[in-house]
Amino acid sequence: MAMERHERFSLPKVWKPRNVGEAWSLKRSFGSDAEYVAGGTLLRTWWEGEVAERPAHLIDIRSLPLLAGIRIAEEGGTGIGACTTLAEIRRSCGLAAEYPALPEAVLQIGAYSIRNVGTIGGNVASGIGDALPALLVYDAELLWFDGSEERIAISEWLERPEDCRRDRGKLLMQVRLPDRANAVETPTGGGNAPFSVYRKVGRREAFTPSVATVAISAGRTEDGRLERVRIAAGGGAAVPHRLYAAESLLEGKTPDPDLLPLIHEAVEETFRPKGDVFAGEEYRKRTAANLVAAELWKLSAGRQGKE
Amino acid sequence: MLLDRQGSGRRWRIRPDGPGKVTGGLAYLTDMAAPGMLIGLVLRSPHPHALILDIRTENAKRVPGVRAVLTHEDVPGLNAFGIARQDQPVFCFDRVRYVGDAVAAVAADTLEAAERALSLIEVDYAEQPVLDSPEKALAEGAPLLHPCGNELHRTDYRLGDPEQWFKACTVIVEETYVTPRQMHTYMETEGGLFVPEPDGRLTVYSPTQHGFMDRLQLSRVLGRPQSDIRVVSSPIGGSFGGKDELNVQPYGALLALAAGKPVKIHNSRKESVRAGLKRHPMVISMKTGADAEGRILAHRVKIVADTGPYATLGAEVLNFATEHVIGPYRIPNVDVDSVSVYTNNGMSGEFRGFGGNQAIFALEGQIDRIAGRLGIDPWELRRRNMRQPDDPGPLGQPIAPTEGAAQVWQALAESPLWRERSQGVPEDDREREHWIKTGIGAAYIMHGAGLGVGIPDPAGGRLVLAEDGKIEAVFGYEEFGQGLIATLELMMMETFGFEAEDVRIVIGDTDVVPDSGSSTASRATSMLWKSVQNMKGPFTESLLSAAADLTGNPADQLRLGPGGVYAMPEPDAASGNDAGSMLLSYAELASRTTEPIRAETAFHFPTTSSKRIGAHFLYTYSAVAAKVEVDTLTGRVRLLDQYHAVAAGPVMNPQGYLGQIEGGSSMALGWTLTEEALMAGGRYLTNNLDTYLIPTVAEHAGNVAVRPIEELPEGDAYGPRGIGEIGSVGLAPAIAAAVRDAVGVWVRKLPIDPRELQDIPHFARKAVLQHDR
Repeated sequence: MAMERHERFSLPKVWKPRNVGEAWSLKRSFGSDAEYVAGGTLLRTWWEGEVAERPAHLIDIRSLPLLAGIRIAEEGGTGIGACTTLAEIRRSCGLAAEYPALPEAVLQIGAYSIRNVGTIGGNVASGIGDALPALLVYDAELLWFDGSEERIAISEWLERPEDCRRDRGKLLMQVRLPDRANAVETPTGGGNAPFSVYRKVGRREAFTPSVATVAISAGRTEDGRLERVRIAAGGGAAVPHRLYAAESLLEGKTPDPDLLPLIHEAVEETFRPKGDVFAGEEYRKRTAANLVAAELWKLSAGRQGKE
Repeated sequence: MLLDRQGSGRRWRIRPDGPGKVTGGLAYLTDMAAPGMLIGLVLRSPHPHALILDIRTENAKRVPGVRAVLTHEDVPGLNAFGIARQDQPVFCFDRVRYVGDAVAAVAADTLEAAERALSLIEVDYAEQPVLDSPEKALAEGAPLLHPCGNELHRTDYRLGDPEQWFKACTVIVEETYVTPRQMHTYMETEGGLFVPEPDGRLTVYSPTQHGFMDRLQLSRVLGRPQSDIRVVSSPIGGSFGGKDELNVQPYGALLALAAGKPVKIHNSRKESVRAGLKRHPMVISMKTGADAEGRILAHRVKIVADTGPYATLGAEVLNFATEHVIGPYRIPNVDVDSVSVYTNNGMSGEFRGFGGNQAIFALEGQIDRIAGRLGIDPWELRRRNMRQPDDPGPLGQPIAPTEGAAQVWQALAESPLWRERSQGVPEDDREREHWIKTGIGAAYIMHGAGLGVGIPDPAGGRLVLAEDGKIEAVFGYEEFGQGLIATLELMMMETFGFEAEDVRIVIGDTDVVPDSGSSTASRATSMLWKSVQNMKGPFTESLLSAAADLTGNPADQLRLGPGGVYAMPEPDAASGNDAGSMLLSYAELASRTTEPIRAETAFHFPTTSSKRIGAHFLYTYSAVAAKVEVDTLTGRVRLLDQYHAVAAGPVMNPQGYLGQIEGGSSMALGWTLTEEALMAGGRYLTNNLDTYLIPTVAEHAGNVAVRPIEELPEGDAYGPRGIGEIGSVGLAPAIAAAVRDAVGVWVRKLPIDPRELQDIPHFARKAVLQHDR
């Protein structure tokens, strides 16, 4: 008993494994007494908020080569190492050109100092990070290490029960984004370029937890119809997810203002936010639906303006 | 003319304490350390309301490195504190009344040992029903939190016969306004270093807004004469009223004396949230009636304030709110009933604006609603009801007359922002993203300064030619970021002709400064000015007569100037380069003179002749316009532009003045849009700055224009009026009016709930059937 109490007041041991296998073995042997750590920005808010107790061991994964760097157009997609900081993602021209909703999402996470140390891996692994809706609409996959490599679609991973998402000490190595037909997006989404957008609403303008986040992406056929439509929403403690009903209303259609009431309704009906003392579920649903409808309205208005 | 850097010319100066603050070179009191110092921690109640059955500290005392473990049994003097009423226990002994209540304290060699010892103190509690709202506390059969009951204070004000006159009103507006618990959120949390001196005295290095009040309170707790205690209280990393009351000082002092070693205590943000003061949440119900021309005939108000577990200045805040719900308007029939209620919520107390913020938010809401109902321009309605220069104050008391009310009204009416409102927003602005709506609103404020009738409100200071030739300006005021040092330095230069290097400012140390009263209630700059005016003649005279003795020049042919004493006549300003010849530097004067050269003044803050407790005599007037944008997709409000006209007499320090109005408005912005220290069941839900959200630089994107109105009536003896608080008062009602202008929704609760302003955009709405009836 006295020993345990003593532990609480001492600093955790920090381990510096040399490779992924070593990191995973450490985690396996310490179990819940250890946490992987990179930037540590989220863990610290958990410890401070008493959501989680500070573990006795921290496994520092920042120097693992497999977890570093952004590799654009590699093996038919883009790989982002889990220890890539949010600031690096924000600065990446390659990501901005092909996956603009991701740097946009990242820009709205935390503040400069947080983004300089916080990583995409931590944002994803939390299961509620604000980058997730953007990754969902780009059909991202996650590469985990669990004794061996495991590749899983991010939407499928998020649908798992919470205690199965990071079980058996698995370590997130990489976020993979499939090619988007190599198309560079134009800011207004004009022409036949693919389109994607991300919006976040918090309780203030910057450095704020999200209340609602939405992301939309779609490709466009030569005759201007939308294809591979993806719409996702999240925010706060909600696990972000795709809004399939809203997606299917748009799939194969030209962006038509007449569809917007139906899409608005579909978002409100299918989005599963988590309310808290600051904002209830109804507000979060309406906000997500309004943002999705407004972005699509802009798309249709932009198209009409062009014609 | 607007107040800005360009227009201020040479009066816009780098503040003396600025470089140290922006480089981090300056050491705050909570940055201090002493050799061999211990770390102190306070054990606070885990329950909002419980009886204490037993406290056992034996195990804690056995932890290696622990030097002192204290409880109520170890308080040599009065086990209670409070500026106005000493009802807050230093250490609780029979009952805890909120989650910040202290039960024990520990000092140890290391933080780890102190934490460990704290965890080993065993307290047996019997939980009691939690009175987490004034309604519950006032309900019949509620447990009594204090022997006198659950009402800290009740007050009222009556004039004429409102009930009768409501019958004569064309329009009557009834509304209930709800305002949040706001945190001061100073960057430097409460703390200090407490040093037992070899001569048996105790030195307290700990931020406070009134060092002498802390010394008095500590002498009661410690059971020692005040002369045995030295309080060093500046510089302070922000206070805003929140550090005026004692916080960690009793614990640091008791631990240091018990252990015989220096003790440092510095609250974490979480502990600061839990134990610290907040702005009083208030529910203000108003019924206000006017005739067809918009003349207000009758005004009935009920104020319920949640003061938390102990008094501190809760009664005084309620008195202030009671005075300010009547505001700058002539209303012939008034009935105000106010009560401040003890609860098991967090401590409420002093906070910039002092109850005026809540009062004016409600009052201005009423005025705008009446204007809306009558179809009269809201600013015109204010003109029809404003107080005239010779009118009494809100409580019928005589006040120092100024033209301030009319001056700020006129300035706002002519401001670009208000003219933009009457001209309307250009169409293309509205069309771009049509779910974004803009609006402009305004508010009208009078705000009292000083502590008011019936409360000791001393002022004064001392000027000394020090042995090294520096002119020492010695005052008992505090520097908590407002720019007091910069203002005093400029005042000394402009009053006497000194240069900055000639002057040494001495503040914040009870061993060396006179009691100038508190640095609160928008009073310090006014009292500095008055003190310097009082001392100008005598101090100049004694400097010149000493110089006359030494130089042989007649005193009436000498003058003070930069660096020393000069021969008259004064150099022709136009010719510029002839500064005259300095006869004697201040250093030479100091080393050669035999008589001490000094001047001293002591007086009382000017008060009204009325006997009404708390009634004010000096008022500042302000008119504030705000332009906002409401995103109806999200219901979120963004402040785009603001204009403040402030009538407070001459500007003593342009940078400080602008800083006070901008800084105050920033706090008001937080109070209006994002800040609320949420509680449930007597526990904080917002424990740190992850969830308690103050405005960031992104919220401050808009312009802030400040127009000071400096003229005072001829013969006015009171000089510059206070501006420390008024910037924090008017923005909330101006934003509420602007929101109404933008989206047609009347806001009655702060912070504004985006849900109330959110709407489904027309293109996403299902088609409405056209054949409805």
